[in-house]
Amino acid sequence: MSEINEGWLEVSEETGIELEDIIRFDHDNKTYCVYKLEDGYYATDGLCTHETVHLEDGLVMDDEIECPMHQGIFKIKTGEAISPPACIDLKTYPVKVDNGKIFIKI
Amino acid sequence: MSLKKISIIGAGQAAAYAANEIRKHDKELGITIFNEENYLPYERPPLSKDSITNKKKYEELSFFSKEFYNSENIQFINKSVKKVDFTNKTLITNDEKLEPYDNLLITTGSKNKKLNFGVDQQDISDSILYLRNIEDSKIIKESINTHKTFAIIGGGFIGLEVASSIAQLGKKAYVIEMGQQLMGRVIPTQIAKLVSSYHEDKGNVILLETNIVSIELKNSVYKIELNNKSTLEVDFIIAGIGSKANTDLFENTSLNINNGIVTDEFCRTSEENVFAAGDVANFFHPFYNMQMRLESYQHAQNHGIAAAKNILGQNLPYIHIPWMWSDQFDLNLQLIGVCNNFDQEIQRGNNLEEGIIYFFIKQKKIMGACGIGKAGKVGRDIRLAGKILETKVDVDIDDIKNKEVKLTTLLKR
Repeated sequence: MSEINEGWLEVSEETGIELEDIIRFDHDNKTYCVYKLEDGYYATDGLCTHETVHLEDGLVMDDEIECPMHQGIFKIKTGEAISPPACIDLKTYPVKVDNGKIFIKI
Repeated sequence: MSLKKISIIGAGQAAAYAANEIRKHDKELGITIFNEENYLPYERPPLSKDSITNKKKYEELSFFSKEFYNSENIQFINKSVKKVDFTNKTLITNDEKLEPYDNLLITTGSKNKKLNFGVDQQDISDSILYLRNIEDSKIIKESINTHKTFAIIGGGFIGLEVASSIAQLGKKAYVIEMGQQLMGRVIPTQIAKLVSSYHEDKGNVILLETNIVSIELKNSVYKIELNNKSTLEVDFIIAGIGSKANTDLFENTSLNINNGIVTDEFCRTSEENVFAAGDVANFFHPFYNMQMRLESYQHAQNHGIAAAKNILGQNLPYIHIPWMWSDQFDLNLQLIGVCNNFDQEIQRGNNLEEGIIYFFIKQKKIMGACGIGKAGKVGRDIRLAGKILETKVDVDIDDIKNKEVKLTTLLKR
């Protein structure tokens, strides 16, 4: 890893990732989701705050992620829970692309 | 004349979200919710599941906090309404107080159908447990914590969810269902069979096409004689045999009632300035061109919001596609649209790990879909099925069958 990427964890190559795709990233017993939106990549915790279900199976619509279990909705960029049963916000994390690779800072 | 006061009868999800929506648009309007329960509006889905299995506390179920209602100036009156005077736009509470309104929203929900074993067995009828509210859930939870075997009368969603909680707590449930399959005719037989096997693998017993011949209660044990000549001995009986619209208050009034309070697509009832939303409303659905009454989380919320908008004069028809879920063990079942009007039934996926969905298609258009899988595995495709059916586009059967084809591509064509 180059020095400039210190503190960042590599999620995946950027190749083949389409708009509104979700990439699940597991690290240190935790799970995260990285989303490709119109204006770049964003990351949140990977589990819904309502019940422990993986948001990687959810549906991205515009800048929102909808949980696949009970349709709780979060804003991807801020993590804000905007539709019940979700009421606790998701944590968000910085994401960057360097040399064709996606990195997350946890 | 501008509106001054909106009264809401019933304090469930539709009421809470209607009040919240009204306040988003109007900070001045008086909002009063008549609440018969001792709790602020709360989520009901956990009552059969996480509340019983200790994964969620009863105190955590409120949609909005007390501070929220206070700061938004949404008033609760902890009384029941005994009469509505539509002519004089006044509610009469159980203590004979008169409460005038400008607009009225009725969100009285639904109530459980009950079993009646006749005059001779009134004690048995009275001892059967039902689930509707927090108090019911607490009683059921206590009975499960202190006893071992349970008969569940009715193999619908509520009964099966409680049975799932019972098995998860290491106890045993016998599910007694009159019909040929679980969860009625709206759920595909294949999915009903998967659910049945799942329960049996976890220690429950599913009894289909089974009727109760007699019940005896001796020394705190119920002896249930069944039509297949067998006898069950259980500690408690819990019944989930369906619900009906809670319209008791409006019997013999001018309000039009037919399987619930009849409304148009704007939540308007037959009475001027009176609206109804949620389980209690038999509303006109423009997409399906028919009246329907729904009992689901999503509907209660969205219909309450729609009523609020229409009370405020926004004239927005309610066109949400029906959607519901049931969680049993680690399985999540979802249903969208209508699944009883089709010429083709197409399966997508073939195992519970990744999810199985049946699509109901008529003249190449998706009418509805029903799926089941490990938690979270069917939600995206069910949601997309709903979006595709809303667009009324023709679908290619091979695309639906093939899990490699993302359903989002069908939307973008």
